[in-house]
Amino acid sequence: MSPLRLSHFQALLLFAFLVSLALGVLSRRAPKEQVKYAARSLFWFLLIGIGIGWIMYPFSR
Amino acid sequence: MTDEAVTKTDTAAGPAAERRAAMIAIAAWLLPGLGHALMRMWSRALACLLCVGALVFCGAGMRGNLFGWETADPFSRLGFVADAGSGVFYWIAKSVESGGPDVSHADGDYGTRLLAAAGVLNLLAALHAYEAARGRKA
Repeated sequence: MSPLRLSHFQALLLFAFLVSLALGVLSRRAPKEQVKYAARSLFWFLLIGIGIGWIMYPFSR
Repeated sequence: MTDEAVTKTDTAAGPAAERRAAMIAIAAWLLPGLGHALMRMWSRALACLLCVGALVFCGAGMRGNLFGWETADPFSRLGFVADAGSGVFYWIAKSVESGGPDVSHADGDYGTRLLAAAGVLNLLAALHAYEAARGRKA
């Protein structure tokens, strides 16, 4: 089986989506609250991940 | 019912409830989602199963490192604890792994993180199931 190849952003998106979904479902009771929590968590995962990426960008050159 | 009777009833039900909660936690660790399924929390059970399963599937597909117990390195042993947190998925991934890990690419390194995240997430879910079985969460 050929290995799964993902870009940095795809890997970040996959990780953030799955972890946010699990955290949302586990930490809130009402379905609407679960969706809101998961969406907020996903947003922060992506924002902080991309932010850290940009902070590290000057050091990669 | 007197206070003494209430206390006796509580202490009689206490260890049994604790045992049941512990069994649910172990079930939740062994098969992600099983602990919640035993308590008829179907959506949480399904979410745990799918999220942990998808993380392990992608992590193993990216040829991440599945740590084994037999190592002298404490960090690798810590990695084993995180990986083994995904229960039966860890042993399935370990048994079907043919080429071994490939952390020479970024994908393999990300795969290692996904596998560890799956295990830690499942341990969190098992803890949640344990607390729910004890009536402290729902």
